[in-house]
Amino acid sequence: MIEDDFYRTSSQFRLWSFTAASLKSLRATTNSVASDRVRAAIRRAQEARRSATSSATGTPAPDGDAGGSSSKAEEKPIECLTPEEEQQTVSYYCEQIIQLGENYKPPLPTIVRATAIQYLRRFYLTNSPMTYHPKQIMPCALFLATKTDNYYMSLRQFADGVPGDATAEDIIAPEFLVMQSLRFTFDVRHPFRGLEGGIMELQAMAQGQGTAAPHFSGSQTAASLQQGLLALPPNPNPSASSSSNLTDRIARAHHTTRELLKTAAQITDVYFLYTPAQIWLAALMLADRPLAEFYLGTKVGVADDDGAQQESPLAALRVKLRLTLNDCAAMLQAYKPLASDPDQMKTLRRIIGKKLYHCQNPEKVNLGAGGQKRIPAAAAAAAAAAGVDSGTSGSEMERLAKKRKLEQQPQQSKDIFGGELVMQRTKER
Amino acid sequence: MPPVRDAMANRGDDDEVCPVCKSSRYLNPDMQFLINPECYHKMCESCVDRIFSSGPANCPVAGCHKTLRKARFRKQTFEDINVEREVDIRRRVMQILNRREEEFDSKRAWDDFLEQREEIIANLVHGTDVAKTENDLQRYASENVRSIRANQALEVQEASSFKEQQTHEQELARLRREAAKQEYENERRELQASREDVLSRLAAGRPGDAAAIAREGKKVLLKKSSARRSEEDRIRQKQAALRNSDARKAGQTGNTADKADAAGDSGLIKGLKKIVTPEPEKPYDPFGGMVPNKRDYYTLRDFYPSSYLDPIRQDTRMQAGGYDLQEYYSRTLMEAFAGLGCFVDEEVTRRDDGDSLRSSRPVATQGSALAAVSSAGTPDAS
Repeated sequence: MIEDDFYRTSSQFRLWSFTAASLKSLRATTNSVASDRVRAAIRRAQEARRSATSSATGTPAPDGDAGGSSSKAEEKPIECLTPEEEQQTVSYYCEQIIQLGENYKPPLPTIVRATAIQYLRRFYLTNSPMTYHPKQIMPCALFLATKTDNYYMSLRQFADGVPGDATAEDIIAPEFLVMQSLRFTFDVRHPFRGLEGGIMELQAMAQGQGTAAPHFSGSQTAASLQQGLLALPPNPNPSASSSSNLTDRIARAHHTTRELLKTAAQITDVYFLYTPAQIWLAALMLADRPLAEFYLGTKVGVADDDGAQQESPLAALRVKLRLTLNDCAAMLQAYKPLASDPDQMKTLRRIIGKKLYHCQNPEKVNLGAGGQKRIPAAAAAAAAAAGVDSGTSGSEMERLAKKRKLEQQPQQSKDIFGGELVMQRTKER
Repeated sequence: MPPVRDAMANRGDDDEVCPVCKSSRYLNPDMQFLINPECYHKMCESCVDRIFSSGPANCPVAGCHKTLRKARFRKQTFEDINVEREVDIRRRVMQILNRREEEFDSKRAWDDFLEQREEIIANLVHGTDVAKTENDLQRYASENVRSIRANQALEVQEASSFKEQQTHEQELARLRREAAKQEYENERRELQASREDVLSRLAAGRPGDAAAIAREGKKVLLKKSSARRSEEDRIRQKQAALRNSDARKAGQTGNTADKADAAGDSGLIKGLKKIVTPEPEKPYDPFGGMVPNKRDYYTLRDFYPSSYLDPIRQDTRMQAGGYDLQEYYSRTLMEAFAGLGCFVDEEVTRRDDGDSLRSSRPVATQGSALAAVSSAGTPDAS
């Protein structure tokens, strides 16, 4: 099918489509790498503090009994987030993006918000919330989305809408980082426009102006399509009101589907696992199953129960498509908004409020501080360049990082008073 | 010249009589006889004018019922009417069977062809198997129209280029002759001048110097002539080289024989080379075989009823900028179905199998590496 080849060229398909298994393993890897790093960083911070306190008290022998016992006490294992908890955190902030979009006048378009959510989700595939707090990344992703989706908004105007005391500087501080983690692919294929197209065609069919699909140009006519639509069984969905008007029915299905796409499709993993065309059809199936199946039938044919012509490629496509759409629909249906579920909210509050606070990488807290913004960016660019060619890049990068740190230490020691090594956050603790 | 010869030729047969109007040359000295290659019956010009001016008519000679046309009448070239006829037949056959030697596999095949052609001509001339031979000939002609025409064009071209080459050569020869003449003239004049010079010096100088002056003059003369001779050699060599290259060029142009359609299928001529005509270049296809606007899931319509799109149709503010709803239709429908048949779980697995190290792993390591590197700068952040 020629339309599929168009999609295959997109960066969404090439870089941001995964199988369920690979998605899971990717998240697990990201999580374990980040946890290790967080533990190492916190230990470093504690050591630094210890040395600072010991020098401050002026104890001649830092290896005294008291010091030893206190270090023992402090070295209780740091509890890191699990991949599932990370995912929940990200989902929470995805919903926050939807809320944040409402803050503006006029509210941000759905598509901008959807793009921002996908940016955030893509970002946290390879980065952990423990490393970069979603609170910092989220506004940046949204601001980036206003730019890539051609919805102009000045940074100051944008910053005014962001709750809390985030300055414009804070918002764009992680921008390069985000773009890099997106691998500079800003194109997100959404199912929204596809839905409009499908509904448009259904309406045309309902009014007797339908056109046959190219593969069925012999058997379908405008009249037969209209007849088929009229003969559809009523929507079994209990929430749907019973109205015989076909146009109303399509319009209602349109509305329900759109709501599903705005929320469920954004917060779940469907963007990674399915294509936009499959997503909107699955959502339409949830909204009005007979209608969706009829529409699909006009495109890929209706399955005959006796399996007469199972060999034809169209039949194979039909079977596979049915399975895929059902899976996708199930995934969409399983979604429940976090805000509506007090249990989930409670666990979330625990995760984000306490656990994430404690296992936040102390070295990454201050993204926007002064010139700090540029240095990681440049280093990260080098890392990305080096990271492409081999699988050893992880350890290689770590080694390089240590080396660079060692190089910096002599400079710090030049300070007569020993420099301030202790992180603000660790001091507070 | 020709009129005189005509007169001479005509004087011999004063008693010649037109077989149609019975007027004799004696009474009408300007009488011209014409023949028609249909039946080769002779008649005078005035008879041709009289009988055939109003369109085709039967031959007036008794017993001959051929229909003749005025346009085909011409002067007789040969005295013997049989020779005239044979030449005509030969010309016609040669025009049809105009294969060239380079079209044949071997010399043997070419010779066979020549013999076959002679046989056909002889058959036609002597009236043996005329019907069959004519049939063969016609079939061959109709089957090989293109190669016949190509070879004819080639012949015409060759003839004209041959003529051109000849005139060119003549021109060159004339130039050479002129140059030689000029040279000879120069030499003569110089000789004269130097002799005069010697003489004048002898007249002006003292008697004792005579021998010396004479010797000097001779030396100068010799030097000059030897210099000239080497110059001549050079020019001659150049000219020879020029002539060679000309000849080569002419040979090349003669060889570019156009290969036409692959041999007579009627089997009249055997041993023709199998000509592999190069595949004619296809017209350029900018879409690389894809049909533009071909779709597999839907057929685009010109109009879709929609309550919120309809106002746009009427809105001049939208239309003025060149906005076309058709664009919207095609884009939304394309996005509605782009990727419907892409099954991510299958295709991504296949993709990852292809380059498992390059696509999924680096994503993980890239992010972590990034975190590692940027952590290098951060400890002294706060």
